[in-house]
Amino acid sequence: MGAQYLDTGWVGPIFTLLLVAYVLFNIRRAERAGKTGKEVYIRRIAGLNAIDEAVGRATEMGRPVIMVPGLPDFVDAIVVQAMNIFSYVSRIAARFSNPILICCYNASVFTVAQEMIRDVYQQEGAIERYDQDSVRFISDRQFAFAAGVSGLILREQAAATFFLGNFYAESLILAETANSVGAIQVASSTQNTQTPFFIAACDYVLIGDEFYAASAYLTRQPVLVGSLVGQDWAKITVIATVLFGMIANSVQLRGTTTTEKAAAVSDTVTEDRVGTFVTIPERPKTINDTFMHEMLNPIPRIIKYHTDKTDTAPATYERPQKPAPPVPLDAVAPGGTQ
Amino acid sequence: MMDLLAQAAPTDNSPFWSGANGSNALWIGILVAFLLGVGLIFLLIQAPVRARRTIVAFFTFISGGFYVLYYFWPQTIDRQKMDLPRTPLEGVSFWLEDAMPVVSQLTNILAGFLLGLGIYSLWRVHGRKVIKMQKDWIFSFVLLASSILMVVVGYMDWATKQGPDGPKLSEHANWHTINYARDFLFEGFLQQMDAAMFSIIAFFILSAAYRAFRIRSVEATVLLATALIVMLSLMGAVTNAWQGAINHINPSPDAFVQNFSLDTIRSWLTNSVQTPSIRGIDFGIGIGSLAMGLRLWLSLERTGS
Repeated sequence: MGAQYLDTGWVGPIFTLLLVAYVLFNIRRAERAGKTGKEVYIRRIAGLNAIDEAVGRATEMGRPVIMVPGLPDFVDAIVVQAMNIFSYVSRIAARFSNPILICCYNASVFTVAQEMIRDVYQQEGAIERYDQDSVRFISDRQFAFAAGVSGLILREQAAATFFLGNFYAESLILAETANSVGAIQVASSTQNTQTPFFIAACDYVLIGDEFYAASAYLTRQPVLVGSLVGQDWAKITVIATVLFGMIANSVQLRGTTTTEKAAAVSDTVTEDRVGTFVTIPERPKTINDTFMHEMLNPIPRIIKYHTDKTDTAPATYERPQKPAPPVPLDAVAPGGTQ
Repeated sequence: MMDLLAQAAPTDNSPFWSGANGSNALWIGILVAFLLGVGLIFLLIQAPVRARRTIVAFFTFISGGFYVLYYFWPQTIDRQKMDLPRTPLEGVSFWLEDAMPVVSQLTNILAGFLLGLGIYSLWRVHGRKVIKMQKDWIFSFVLLASSILMVVVGYMDWATKQGPDGPKLSEHANWHTINYARDFLFEGFLQQMDAAMFSIIAFFILSAAYRAFRIRSVEATVLLATALIVMLSLMGAVTNAWQGAINHINPSPDAFVQNFSLDTIRSWLTNSVQTPSIRGIDFGIGIGSLAMGLRLWLSLERTGS
């Protein structure tokens, strides 16, 4: 990469590719295992076990189940995940002829939810029980939405509520309102700041990646279960990296150094030496001198642009050999190279 | 191929992805995009279910592939308008950078279409309630009337601002009745109701905190103790009194007892307990969304089953 490109280093892309490989490999593995009848063990998740109980209770009381897929700006992976869980809830509700209500903040989520719920009722052979108004667009203003959903919870006296997705400041308004009508609540927010509010106000909370494990836990599809195992491998890799970094830093920080990676042009460092090691007087090592820091923080090359527009540069660009300074971008003649 | 990806000439004109206003290229682009869109919808309607899945998977892969390429391909920094790509690698970089705003706007365009469906749903539900005079129909009527009023007043306000008096309307003295009406409805009503809803959170925090901090289990007790320490450490008088007591035992800054100052305990709790926990959760969420995104991109996800 030339000097004019942002150097993000190799760690990010390689690590991403590694995680992708884990997921794909395990999906393949789970598909093979599924054909032989083997099942991968997934630990118990209390919030998901409570779904059947919550819907059953709603059926007994003859009151609806209210579901909210967060407040997303568009249909993203979080919404799709929430919808996967809602389709499971709706399926049980369809079997028991229990009324459901999905409140949408975003019009695109509304259309996706409507299609999904119709599909669920059709698959359950209960399309005549499908109510078009069971999926509603409420508002795309945060607190108008909160007021609308709270009103529905109070008026319909919801027996169970599911708040799954991206929630922000309105999380506590919704959870406390549902609590006030005695609803069983299952909640999860991918926004870490809102999780404590849900923990304080709801019966069951899916924390962090439990939310993403939900569809695998509920459906046991090989693709989803394999993906979950891949995620676990990825987490083990992350933990191993953290532990390795901790030990490596502890060892390295005990010594002293006489070299340093030049981060900027100075009296003693020329532009072409930025990013290379230069000799310095001996000093104790700091966190910037450690292997982990260097690996995770590649230093971008310092760029200097010629401001003189009359500067005549060669019409064809050739990558300069070190230690020659890089040719400025704006020095390429108009109509030059293609 | 690379000639196509490279910029034709260093001009001030917009690149391949966005033609200049009123230019033939722009109109041709719009027409082609429209025909492609209609063609795609027609194809989806006509195709059998199995083929539909393939078509959707293909377009999902292409769309996701763009972002993957954008992420992995070297990105330019401080690119100037007149810059030319010098190599095929740069040609692709420039092309991706030019395409990004257009591609990301596609989502907004789709959302624009879908908003109509959302409003239709809202009107159907509440309109039926009003017509059949069902329970609480008056609230539905208020909702419908408010939405019409806001649209009409908002549009008329916008129209006056586009007119010859537009520049003068920055001063209140020059406002027309419609401008006051919009101000009253939007700033005086809607914003205030938003603020009222937001302020309710304070009361809900109190009631939720009361329930959460009751000593029912070991976890709740730990939560209570932690919250108490953090809250007390933010109270100047308490911190001062506590520090005074510690200094009374041993005033030396190196003394072991100094580790028990409220600030130090709070820092330890937030930096050594809270932050690592949140980072751990963040890692889980990040990996989960990556796996989910991958399944969606490769169409491995089967929803509703």
